Amino acid sequence: MMWLTLWSEGFMQRALLATVLSGVTCSLIGVLIVTMRLSFIGVCISHAAFAGAILGLYLGVPPLGSSLVTSLLAAGLLGPLADRGNLSPDTAIGVMFSASLALAFLLLALLPGPKSEALVWLWGNVLTVSRESLWLLAATASAIALLVVLFFKELQAVIFHRDLAAASGLPATAIFYGVLICSGVAITASLSAIGGLLVFSMVVNPAATAYQLTYRLSWMFLLSTLFAILTGWVGLALSALFNLPSGAMVVLVSTTMLLTAITFSPKRRAGTGGIR
Amino acid sequence: MKQTACELRQVWVSYGKTPALRGVSLQVAQGELLGLFGHNGAGKSTLLRAVLGLVPVQSGEVLVDGVPVQKRDLPRLRQRIGYVPQMLRVDAGTPVSVRDVVMMGQYAQIGWGRLPSQGHKQRADRALEAMGVTHLADKPFGHLSGGEQQRVLLACALAQSPRLLLMDEPTSSVDWQFVRELAGLIREVHEANHLTTIVVSHDAPFLARLCDRVVLMEGGEILGDLPASSLLKRVEQESG
Repeated sequence: MMWLTLWSEGFMQRALLATVLSGVTCSLIGVLIVTMRLSFIGVCISHAAFAGAILGLYLGVPPLGSSLVTSLLAAGLLGPLADRGNLSPDTAIGVMFSASLALAFLLLALLPGPKSEALVWLWGNVLTVSRESLWLLAATASAIALLVVLFFKELQAVIFHRDLAAASGLPATAIFYGVLICSGVAITASLSAIGGLLVFSMVVNPAATAYQLTYRLSWMFLLSTLFAILTGWVGLALSALFNLPSGAMVVLVSTTMLLTAITFSPKRRAGTGGIR
Repeated sequence: MKQTACELRQVWVSYGKTPALRGVSLQVAQGELLGLFGHNGAGKSTLLRAVLGLVPVQSGEVLVDGVPVQKRDLPRLRQRIGYVPQMLRVDAGTPVSVRDVVMMGQYAQIGWGRLPSQGHKQRADRALEAMGVTHLADKPFGHLSGGEQQRVLLACALAQSPRLLLMDEPTSSVDWQFVRELAGLIREVHEANHLTTIVVSHDAPFLARLCDRVVLMEGGEILGDLPASSLLKRVEQESG
């Protein structure tokens, strides 16, 4: 009974809302990241955002602002490196990923006093999400959903083949960089609720699950959003029931859903599946 | 005398420090079906990409319908150029259907934030029908064979209502039986739509069967320009 009364508490309702909003934000971006094969760029951006938040705490500036700056910086650097760098894209991403993480842990060690505030940016805590963070998530989720609806056909063309899209007269490079920038914004907005280490699985897992189940891009966006919300709520319920960390439970539930989808995927049976 | 549809004047293109085109000059008349023949690395595909403005031209000039391929003209210019790229590596699970691919050729013409009209959909249907792939319309593109993919990409280019059609190694991913059929198909599309067509290939018999004229390329330069009927003889002479 106590477990049931928990759901009427204000903090739990805010947590449910945060799960819906970060689920929508991350899952829509996740479809673009998975279908454009940018998964490792996404990992890199999420760790750069985390490093930026710690940098903000260290410098005494708002961590949200500093994490937005570093995630956009990472997106802006990774695009050209992936496009025409002298290093291979994998190497460039690997270097930036490890550098971001090293910077974050260095600053974490240098931070004076208790580290609990800093650790929220690492692990996240959906149960303590603030009203301001909810507004930010709502604005980000609405903006990204609107962009996906408005530019659906252009995104579809770039997902299919960037060169062919450019050759037909679409600004394919601008769309590609737009996706990277939106990824940076989405990841930053979700950071305080989900945390730098877990946000990436919220981006990739629901989209990769949806990818296993449909050949239509519009359905993939819908299914990915649905899975993100569902896994968020189930994860939250399990964490409340067994008194376990909420972020970790959400990720484990979404991973289980992905593995189930891979097992029963019609694409796998047809020999055309595979997570990218 | 026929007007010039496409012209390159002393065009130089490099990838890093390696030149891919070395001062290439070429004129393609309106309505002509031109073949570009050469081995890998000859600069054939780079020439097509230079016409599309997909690679920066270091010196010289590329003109399409007399208009220089400059940055400000690129989106509008590309909307009138149908491009069929070399074998696409598309994951079999990619959530894009054949009909989606054929519609994509028109997306730039439709404009940002707008839905395709009935007219755009009908144009795509006509292109699918002309290429004989209507029955594949709802299939995922990644499930098609190489030959079927070529037909679909040709339908995508056709739906654009292009004036100029550029095809890069159309025989590279199809079986030998389809190569003969493909030559007939391209010729039919070229004539029915009053196109100017440039086809890049290292398959001499294919170009000899298909084209009016063939330009030979090697090391980023043009080595010769001859009627398609003389291509096989020339290749035999050079290899023998």
